[in-house]
Amino acid sequence: MKPEMKPAFRERMEKLLTEKKDFEAFEKIIHIPPRNYVRCNTLKISEKELFERLSKKWTVEQPFPEHPEIMLIQNELQPGELGNAIEHVLGYYYIQEVCSMMSVIALKPEPGEFVLDLCASPGSKTTQIAAGMQGSGTLIANDVRMDRIAILAANLERCGVTNSIVTRNDGVQLAEKFGRNNIKFDKILLDAPCSGEGTLRSSARTFQMWNPKVLKSFSRMQKKLLACSLKALKAGGTLVYSTCTHAPEEDEEVVDFALKNFPVELEEVKLPLKTRPGITSWDEKTFSPEVKKCHRIYPQDNDSEGFFVARLRLKEEVK
Amino acid sequence: MNIRFIKSNEKRKILESLNDQFGISELPYLLISTGNERIRAFSGSLSKEEIEELGKIARVELIGTYFLKEEGLYRLSFDSPLLIKDEIKKNIVEINDEQFHDWIRGFDIQIEAPQGVVVIRYNGDFIGCGKSNGKTIYNYVPKDRRLKK
Repeated sequence: MKPEMKPAFRERMEKLLTEKKDFEAFEKIIHIPPRNYVRCNTLKISEKELFERLSKKWTVEQPFPEHPEIMLIQNELQPGELGNAIEHVLGYYYIQEVCSMMSVIALKPEPGEFVLDLCASPGSKTTQIAAGMQGSGTLIANDVRMDRIAILAANLERCGVTNSIVTRNDGVQLAEKFGRNNIKFDKILLDAPCSGEGTLRSSARTFQMWNPKVLKSFSRMQKKLLACSLKALKAGGTLVYSTCTHAPEEDEEVVDFALKNFPVELEEVKLPLKTRPGITSWDEKTFSPEVKKCHRIYPQDNDSEGFFVARLRLKEEVK
Repeated sequence: MNIRFIKSNEKRKILESLNDQFGISELPYLLISTGNERIRAFSGSLSKEEIEELGKIARVELIGTYFLKEEGLYRLSFDSPLLIKDEIKKNIVEINDEQFHDWIRGFDIQIEAPQGVVVIRYNGDFIGCGKSNGKTIYNYVPKDRRLKK
């Protein structure tokens, strides 16, 4: 049986997608499995070489000329086919939904930088950051649970990441400690735990698991994570905040909290997907007009999953 | 994490052995021993002292990547030949389609090869190391890296 949106979720999405046709397109696409994207792991192989290899077995496209590492496999694949290819086993690519690649494109990690990925597991974005750093600088990849650390470690290993240090700590406590001990990062990725509304296409369970009560508790936790992360950022440093949910409580409200309480500004980011600006009001709450610089990614706009990305710059150090 | 930073004179000895075994002349990594004869490689910018400081405030689980294991001879991990592919010049065994089919599924392969640890190459890709007795190469492809069917 086709899973359906819970009434409260439907009502919220209708409020976000006010045009009937837009909502209908959303409702239709969330029942279609997502397309098969992979990201070339440039730590082990060039985009050109991987494209040539994969083109011998599948119909492959590089849809974004500025990001040749992103490849779309057009064939209908057997379950597990992408994961059971020799190129995957050798760590030449990472299977990753295209919208989840946007956080690291926004972060733009460079060789030599000191970077923190606070909620790193399973490692899709961590390995993408590592590819940007090309083995130099240091990448601290943190997660809280041992089972998640094991998955993260396996992915770092497979992708040949040599400049990472994996830590297992509560994200709030760790960022707090970094700040207190004056350990400051050039860049931080906060891909926060969230209600996952954007993952309906790949995880039908989300339809059943969605619960309006958790949005507020996620929002509180996300604000804590963001506040502590800013204390671990260098002045002038960049923090990318991202989630895979459409819930404004977990997206614009969290960014608005940072804008109102910390010396941060939102930066414009050019992403290779169609995005929509952040919304400035929700549920009788009004957000800073700055939040329009955030990016909302809806599945019907790019035939992708759903996502939210914001890039913040810290103007002066937070004590 | 129980770790020991490998000192430069010890690293030099490891490099000499790796040079004898595989022709490796350079290892641009900080080497870290983690027990069980396993050695990890770290290319990050933090110094030993900075990593030790980090360990005082965070629970450090892993540093860098698993690189090699000492078992009398050194056996490179599945991934390390892919990281230093231009450095590996000796004890390379080229395998054919049939041998590849078995090797990547975790089976030992029958092939004449120099005795000791050898690096396996198929169609230009390094696919791990094995131990050869001259006629058979024993498989060390980790379970989670084997092809399933």
